[in-house]
Amino acid sequence: MNEAELAELLSQVRTGNANAWGDLYTRHAPAIFRFCRRVLPAREDAEDATMEIFMKVRQKIGSYDSSKPFMAWLYKVAANHCWDMLRRRRIRQDLETGDVETMPLEHPDPSQLESLIDEHAGKEVRAGLATLPDRARLALTLRYFAEMSYDEIAETLGVRREFVGVLLLRARHQLRAALSSGGQLPEFSSGRGL
Amino acid sequence: MNAFHRDGNPPFGDAPNDHFDEMTGLLLLEGQLDDARVREVSAHAGSCTACRQLLQVLQNENIWLRKALAAEEEPVPARLVFAPQRGQSHWGWIAALGLGFGGAYTFWTGFVEPWFDQAGQAGFSQGSLLTMLFFTGALWKGWDAMRTTMELLAAGTLVVLGMWPLRRQWRRFAPVAFVISALALFVTLAPSSSAAEIHHGDPNYVLPAGQQSATDLIVTANYTRIDGDVNGDLIVFSNSVTVNGHIKGDILAFAQELRMNGTVEGNLRGGCHSLILNGSVAKNVSVWTQNFDMDSKATVGGTAMVGSNDAELDGHIAGDLLAFGNSITIDGPLGGGARVRAHQLTIGSDADIKGNTDYNGWRQPQISQGAKLASPIHATIQRPGPNYSSPRFYWHETLFWGAVFIFGLLTLLTAPGFFFDVVAASKRIGTSLGWGALVLIVTPVAAVAAIFTIVGAGVGIAALLWYVIALFAAQIFVGAWLGETLLGSAAGIGAAAGRLALGLAVIRVVSIVPIVGALVQVVVIVWGLGALARAVHGRMRHPMATAAV
Repeated sequence: MNEAELAELLSQVRTGNANAWGDLYTRHAPAIFRFCRRVLPAREDAEDATMEIFMKVRQKIGSYDSSKPFMAWLYKVAANHCWDMLRRRRIRQDLETGDVETMPLEHPDPSQLESLIDEHAGKEVRAGLATLPDRARLALTLRYFAEMSYDEIAETLGVRREFVGVLLLRARHQLRAALSSGGQLPEFSSGRGL
Repeated sequence: MNAFHRDGNPPFGDAPNDHFDEMTGLLLLEGQLDDARVREVSAHAGSCTACRQLLQVLQNENIWLRKALAAEEEPVPARLVFAPQRGQSHWGWIAALGLGFGGAYTFWTGFVEPWFDQAGQAGFSQGSLLTMLFFTGALWKGWDAMRTTMELLAAGTLVVLGMWPLRRQWRRFAPVAFVISALALFVTLAPSSSAAEIHHGDPNYVLPAGQQSATDLIVTANYTRIDGDVNGDLIVFSNSVTVNGHIKGDILAFAQELRMNGTVEGNLRGGCHSLILNGSVAKNVSVWTQNFDMDSKATVGGTAMVGSNDAELDGHIAGDLLAFGNSITIDGPLGGGARVRAHQLTIGSDADIKGNTDYNGWRQPQISQGAKLASPIHATIQRPGPNYSSPRFYWHETLFWGAVFIFGLLTLLTAPGFFFDVVAASKRIGTSLGWGALVLIVTPVAAVAAIFTIVGAGVGIAALLWYVIALFAAQIFVGAWLGETLLGSAAGIGAAAGRLALGLAVIRVVSIVPIVGALVQVVVIVWGLGALARAVHGRMRHPMATAAV
């Protein structure tokens, strides 16, 4: 579907056309479900969240700025919803911002990191991702699945823009540590990573 | 150790060991550095092998992450197939709801209530359906003390089993399920309310004449013979049971053959293949049996409720008779009325029925010349097959459709994910039929086996209840599939409900065709049951908690 067709579809959705809404949903629900599946701990949560996100989309479709990419807006709604869900459940395990900012960063061994990449398939990566703290998992998903900018990630997670890079790097370190330890996330990898 | 510089730190120098750090590399790859910094870092990477390698591996990691996260490793759940939207009331829905409730009302007033009344006449006067069906009606009075406990156990089991397949939708009720499970466990472990002698035959058990059991007697044996006295109730599970002695309580028997020659001061209840009653029962008889032979010397002080393929009732029954079966013969005194639903009713010359006789069957009743009846028999003769010329027939079919539709609609609204999963499972017709045939046969066998273990009685009874519900529910999933096949898939609960209504209507219409309709109904039940089983099985296979994607 090209941009013009999408714009036409969105305008029909705004007028309350049920078929257009169904079409929009059918096209984008799989991506949003996968997004939720990456971010939320349980499949059932992802199912619930997908439905709820699209209900919000239907309510907020009037506020969508058509000059911006629709998928970016959609992912933003999804990210906000998922982050709210996680916060409501009070199951965040992230360290405080200060801890992260003082996190020592050291030069990883490129050969070891290359080996890690070669040895772990996508399924293992996703399994490792599921063991990460919520914010780390969400940050990686926002950046490398939803392709959000640093500004958008900062806004979604409520952190300073300068902090996003640290958050992403820390999440990558945690993921490497989880994969190296067979899925068990150590208390926290200091940043040595490998 | 090499010196590393985090981005934002003072610029690194030109020394070979003066590398930039991982963060700087990441920000460079992500396009987050300003132009001056990009030039500086790029220049260094051009001359530094270690930093170039770092950039390369970080870039590979980016690709690796994107590829892993973007993988479509699992299908979108059936629950998410249709777009969520707020439906609006429509006259069609209102009419369907009205029909549904009308159907439910008709079913209740035309079927359930009369049977309750009949059961009440036969001595089953408890208000609780569960109690009447499974405990008070089937077991002996000694259970009264434990009835509340057993009801809790059965109810708890029912609730837990009911929540199990739908646990994903109802997981917020997990604490409730936990409490109920704990309660069920607690009542299971609770000590029994009265002492009882328990005997396991080796392989047979005999209570000799002159000996007595001081309290309730529970026996499991191949062959059981009671010549002595039992001061409480007799509960027996045996291939063959003969009672010649005196039972002060009730008899509850499950046996291949039960021969009752003695006296019972309480009730006789049970299920067996063959029952021969030569003795006396002071209170009521409630039995399900293939063959029931009541001798002319036998007496029943209360009422008799008999479900039997072939019953020959020659003895004296002081109260009412409620009989269901194939061939029922009354050839003895009956103090109350008789209500018989059977293929054939025969009233012998020694019959003396003091109350009204109500017969509903396939053939005209055979009445001997010498039979004494207080009033003429009120007979309703069933005609084979439906009466197509009667508007009432179509009205009932419409009501039935409405009742099924309401059931399906409630399922759709309360558990849409499960509903769509089952409908999706029904699309694999051959597999569903295979599963359905298996479940259709295995479930009742396993449930009955569980009931006979006593300990698993609650689970077995609950399983049977769910089995019956599943048999009824099977058609809604096939109906939903059929509607979708006819109209095509569409988004929304409303569209799904409309397709369900259409599919059920088609099934209803086809079902009234002679012979073909019966075959279609069987196929629909097996098919839907299989889809249901596959969906439940699929949900059980997926772990509920956090799992690898």
